[in-house]
Amino acid sequence: MSAPLYEARNISKKYGSVVALDGADFQINAGEIVGLVGDNGAGKSTLVKCLSGAHQPTSGQMIVEGKEVSWNSPRDAIEAGIETLYQDSGLAPHLTVGANVFLGREKYQKGLLGKFGFLDNKGMNKEAHEDLERVGIAVPSSTRAISALSGGQRQAVAIGRAVSWASKVIILDEPTNHLGARQAGEVLEVMKAAKAKGLGVVFISHTLPHVLQVTDRIVVLRLGKIVANAPTTDFNADTLLGTITGLNTLK
Amino acid sequence: MSQVETQTSTLKRLIGNQQLLLLMVWFAMVAVFTAFNSIFFSMAVFGNILLDWAPVVLMAVGQSFVIISGGIDLSVGSTVGLSGVVAAFQMQKMMTNGDNQWTTIAVGTVFAAVTGIIIGLINGFLITKAKMVPFIATLVTMGAAAGLAIVYSGGAPVAGGPDKAITLSVPWFGPFSTPGLIVVAIVAICGLFLHLARFGRYTYAVGSNEFAARSAGINVNRHYMKIYALSGFLSGLAGMYYYCRLGSGAPTSGYGGELDAIAAVVIGGAALTGGVGRITGTVIGALILTTTTSGLIIIGVAPDWKQVVVAILIAAAVLLQGFKSGSKGGGK
Repeated sequence: MSAPLYEARNISKKYGSVVALDGADFQINAGEIVGLVGDNGAGKSTLVKCLSGAHQPTSGQMIVEGKEVSWNSPRDAIEAGIETLYQDSGLAPHLTVGANVFLGREKYQKGLLGKFGFLDNKGMNKEAHEDLERVGIAVPSSTRAISALSGGQRQAVAIGRAVSWASKVIILDEPTNHLGARQAGEVLEVMKAAKAKGLGVVFISHTLPHVLQVTDRIVVLRLGKIVANAPTTDFNADTLLGTITGLNTLK
Repeated sequence: MSQVETQTSTLKRLIGNQQLLLLMVWFAMVAVFTAFNSIFFSMAVFGNILLDWAPVVLMAVGQSFVIISGGIDLSVGSTVGLSGVVAAFQMQKMMTNGDNQWTTIAVGTVFAAVTGIIIGLINGFLITKAKMVPFIATLVTMGAAAGLAIVYSGGAPVAGGPDKAITLSVPWFGPFSTPGLIVVAIVAICGLFLHLARFGRYTYAVGSNEFAARSAGINVNRHYMKIYALSGFLSGLAGMYYYCRLGSGAPTSGYGGELDAIAAVVIGGAALTGGVGRITGTVIGALILTTTTSGLIIIGVAPDWKQVVVAILIAAAVLLQGFKSGSKGGGK
């Protein structure tokens, strides 16, 4: 079997004397949706931060397509094709949809104006609209400010942005939080579209029905350790909850 | 044309209303002052207003970038004083050496600008590296620069510079003098960079959501450094402007300038919470401020009333903003 797309091997993270993550192994393959679940304080956020480059693990290896890597900042991970959507929306509310989709990777005017940093807003808006449409997101217009959108639309733009930029892995931290049932359903569809595009999708959520519905595999963290890593078909709502709380373990 | 289309409809609505409203306020002020004393409506008075306007708008444009980025720069007034004094000493030295007047003015301008940039970089350092909030960081440099200006100059204006600096300030292009025209050009360039270039886009982004800007890979700290350096640079130029007007570098020439600059920006529609503001708003805001001062003098009201009028204008601008954000999503 070929090497996983993105892998964390024997990762530990200590904050002072607190062990937040204790020798965790995590893999994600291309075209796969992996659910990452666990109770509060189980180490999900810590693992996400290590995967996204926001934090450096105390020990262990990070491997992208068989090559060991180390991230000094989120920028490094982004450049390697790993996009993270954080729980608190990573959008600038005063900027337009188009400006947000292209934030940090602006397109410039041709010629001298571009050299001075003048932006090709028209081109960015057009492309942003196409990108969002491609991942199945219906947003009224690229020229609207994020603050004029509903919560669901904002989340959709944030996910669309991450999906359209990611070339390998997309990490979604609680993307369906605070969303209505219909909007959450749209988000799950976007994840499937990302999977179909060949991306590895890491889905962190407390909403277990969503996790069971959309993932191929589920990884359960408890007290900083991986306690289960199995195909979604091995779980049902009861056994998954039992595994998270530690009341039962998978055979 | 395409640039206009690419603005968001919400933003367009905001700008349209705010800018139009500001212009109407200004026209109303001109009408009222003229009604009280017809002398007000003359080229001489407008020339005077523009002379006062130029340094305020320089400081206010820098302040606009700072406020849109979610910060505040209290050091701009002191920077004006210190950079004027630094430039004055340099020009005094060069005139004693018998250097060419124009060369002297050019070198003086560079000295003033560099002084401003240094203060701006110190602000940026205190904010990004020493993790001070902008209010405290710039309060520190405000005090330090004001003190240095007094100590360095001995408390008196530093004269003995080139005579041509003073004659420069005479209006020749309608109500504009040469320094005034240069200020207009600088303001226009800053406006283009704020609204159409990456520099401005990042300024709005960090002011709107610093976390989002950071996770999008923007070097947020470096951008703050640039913004405060720009604010210092423009204040340094304002210091040189006052030198040309007064014919000396007075340590107190920018006294209270930070409040005028902040007032102009806020009247112009920017929000101190960041992410909102337009250069055109700031330009008209500064015009309203300086028109108030001249107008009150001309109609025979004690100029101290200016502060009361400005206070009312600020309150009105902020109320309007609260009303707008409260009615978000409504309207046409």
